[in-house]
Amino acid sequence: MLFNGVIKMTTTDTSAKKETFLSSLGGFFKDFIAAVAKGDFFVKLSVIWWGAGYIRRKQFIRTLLITALEAAVILFSIYFAPQYITKLGTLGTVKMESVFNLETMKYDVNNYDDSFQILLFSVISIAVWVVALFILMKNVIAVYNLQLKSKRGEHLNSFVDDLNALLNEKFHVTLLTLPVLGIVLFSVIPIFVLILVAFTNYDQQHMPPAELFTWTGLTNFINLFGGGGLSITFGYSFVRVLLWTLIWSLFATFTTFFGGVLLSLFLRNKRTKLPKLWRSLFVVTIAVPQFVTLLLVRNFFANNGIANTMLRDIGITQVLQNIGLIPSDYIPFLSAPGWAHVMIILINIWIGVPYQMLIMTGVLSNLPEEQIESASIDGATKWQTFRHITMPYVLFVTGPSLVTDFVKNINNFNVIYLLTQDVYTTTNQALANSQAREVDLLVTWLFRLTQEYYNYKMASVIGICVFVLCSVITLVAFGLMTRGDKEGVYN
Amino acid sequence: MKKKILAFIMAAATCFSLTACSTSSNSDSSDNSGAGNSNSNSNSDSSSSDNSGAGSSDGSTIDLVVWGPEEDQTFLTGLIEDFKNQYPDQSFNIQLGVESEATAKDTVLTDPSAAADVYAFASDQLNDLVAAGALADLTALSDAFKAITGNSIDDIMAMNIEGSVAAATKNGNVYALPLGAGNNFFMYYDKSKITENDVMTWDGLLSAASAAGKKAGMVFNSGWYNGGFFLGAGFTASMNADGTTNLDWNKTSADGITGVQVVEGMISIASNPAFMAIADNDISNQIAAGELCAVVSGSWDMSTVEAAWGAENVGVAKLPTYTCGGNQVQQGCYSGFKLMGVNGMSKQVGWAAVLAEFLTNESAQMKRYEARQLAPTNIKASEADAVMANEMLAASIAQDAACGVLQDVGGKYWDPTATLGELIAQGQLKVGDTEAIQAALDTMVEGVTAPVE
Repeated sequence: MLFNGVIKMTTTDTSAKKETFLSSLGGFFKDFIAAVAKGDFFVKLSVIWWGAGYIRRKQFIRTLLITALEAAVILFSIYFAPQYITKLGTLGTVKMESVFNLETMKYDVNNYDDSFQILLFSVISIAVWVVALFILMKNVIAVYNLQLKSKRGEHLNSFVDDLNALLNEKFHVTLLTLPVLGIVLFSVIPIFVLILVAFTNYDQQHMPPAELFTWTGLTNFINLFGGGGLSITFGYSFVRVLLWTLIWSLFATFTTFFGGVLLSLFLRNKRTKLPKLWRSLFVVTIAVPQFVTLLLVRNFFANNGIANTMLRDIGITQVLQNIGLIPSDYIPFLSAPGWAHVMIILINIWIGVPYQMLIMTGVLSNLPEEQIESASIDGATKWQTFRHITMPYVLFVTGPSLVTDFVKNINNFNVIYLLTQDVYTTTNQALANSQAREVDLLVTWLFRLTQEYYNYKMASVIGICVFVLCSVITLVAFGLMTRGDKEGVYN
Repeated sequence: MKKKILAFIMAAATCFSLTACSTSSNSDSSDNSGAGNSNSNSNSDSSSSDNSGAGSSDGSTIDLVVWGPEEDQTFLTGLIEDFKNQYPDQSFNIQLGVESEATAKDTVLTDPSAAADVYAFASDQLNDLVAAGALADLTALSDAFKAITGNSIDDIMAMNIEGSVAAATKNGNVYALPLGAGNNFFMYYDKSKITENDVMTWDGLLSAASAAGKKAGMVFNSGWYNGGFFLGAGFTASMNADGTTNLDWNKTSADGITGVQVVEGMISIASNPAFMAIADNDISNQIAAGELCAVVSGSWDMSTVEAAWGAENVGVAKLPTYTCGGNQVQQGCYSGFKLMGVNGMSKQVGWAAVLAEFLTNESAQMKRYEARQLAPTNIKASEADAVMANEMLAASIAQDAACGVLQDVGGKYWDPTATLGELIAQGQLKVGDTEAIQAALDTMVEGVTAPVE
């Protein structure tokens, strides 16, 4: 089966890649040392002057290009990097001071340090140097290979040959250069900067460029996990928020998953009339932007919203009040813990099931019909067929997407934030003292911390925790799923 | 096959890097401007911005950016033209952007050096903006005002009402120019159901509402609203230089009232069946829903109230008194102002300050009043006939005069106080259970006064 094949291919590929990556790194260093040790004078010289090896082989365009690159790196290291790198240890010491100058009607500003710029440009400088070191080593190996080739009297690739190669057998290099560059510039470097922020005191009181921030070591992590002499209940809140985050993602993932399976089974059932109509109706809910739906539902279930007004008119609210289930004259659908937790999961089912239904419709149309037929001949009940054939098959095919869904739900900002912002006020004072609420996920807590309190350092710490959590879950789940060869069962 | 996979990966990666580009372009551009800023301050990276900055004193164009709220755009455009005509010798390039006063802080603090040179904001944001260096010290710019307008900063501030001057001042320095008052709340009531006399006290109001089969509503789960009960009883809240907040609500106030008594007063209001505890940001919905005959809100809900009750039925009054420890205590409120600030990172700080003054002077405030009914802070403007005749403004001003306390609290104030209000609104605290109330107050104060970690 193609689908299984693809899964298997990717999994074996990754495991193979892992080995080759580590061993190739070791091999790379070995090659470099061998090249330096065994190379001729020009190969050795090209450790210092990158173009040396090429000029020995009379490859002048290459010499020029690589020398220009080296010059650029050297100029960068002399004129740009030092002003930031030298201050990386303190993140700056000179505070901004502005004095008004009536002549120019402007401020005369001192030559101040901007902590964030120092941090950012230091990381960029280090990144440039790492890349430069890699190019240096790669280059030495390349010129050593040239030396070997010329010794053997083989044809040496000219610059034009190289360009041709980039369009043919090395086409993937051409294709991937730009995206990789983009990822490094716009993903890797910012992530490094954000991770480093977790070890500083970057917050409302230390906002560059007006104020400086500096390194504080592990203080923020210690505060988060309950240490530190602060009266803040950060650690207390973290545990509760984390717990609800996990419960939420578990329920959100599996309720929509099974809801989707059941719904698509119903729609596939031969006795269902007008399946296309029903399917279209469910898909319509996808067509409405999610935030519109969520905000409408939030108002619908507000303390004094339509749902409550109707229930009060019918008399259900009074009944609940009389049996002591609710203390107020409204049902706190989205404003009390417990109620809000259940409601959020229920609303999420309503929003998430149509997506799962569409996916499952695709998956179920590939059901192994022969097995189901033979099962029914053997006298299996509908439930037994579902339990022993349909579900295992569906779980096997959609396992990886379940894991990604789970991780996605850990970071499901929209549903939680839009349903509870401005509606939910916690009555737990300990949570309130650290700006958390019972219904907060780590990611919504993080958002409130940064957006409303400018507490970048704690946000960064929580961000790191979320990242670790997600990667551990993903790795473990994928590890469990790909263990053993289940593919044979379904072929 | 291999090529196809490669092509797919390529496409995916390109998409990824494109989106990465577009999402980070914002911060990217602001980084540039940040770099540009330090360049002109002799950090010596490139020379382009140095040049543009150096010659501006001798008549070259001065670039300024102004941010004002959506509803001010038309008349700000007019004022900016007037400003250019006022100083014909100087050429200006002034751009106007939309930024609500309520959210100015969030946008400005994202990157102060990329924010507007002149921007309007609500007075409660002053502390954070000053801490981030996003507001220029106008006292230090007094010479510029004197040289261009003929008035020193003290002269300018003396033209405004006292409360607004205090709101724009921090540590003895002026950081902004007042542009409007009335950023507080008062009582709206339906004249057809409730008399002027009923609305003097919460007890009278609630019994009248009950008799009319309606409800009186107020937001309890927000420190901005529920703080009024404590402020009225003589309690205080203030902010320290390091961003932490001082709060004495768990003790005994200057008026000899204990925090527990205030909470008990709030509980007896909240537990009255004719009272509706409204969620913050839900006031307008509840007014429109029609169950209310009186509601605590501000000038921003005027049109909603008029639509719900009919313009002729809308009455406005200062907040009622409430029963506290057997006495009637006037409910207080935080008074707020709208201010115009000059960015502390502005490259044209002198002219920016002059422009800010122009946008907040007497004639500008009159125009703003005509455009959006915002109460002037300029003393002459607030004494104009049209302003004096406005009932709503009168209520708002009377409320300020009766018990307005300048809002001066840090970020940690909001969540713990909101939670106390919610505890009261939900009836989780009971009158007489002084221990539980005291414990709740202690916890709240601990949270509010916690160090900024």
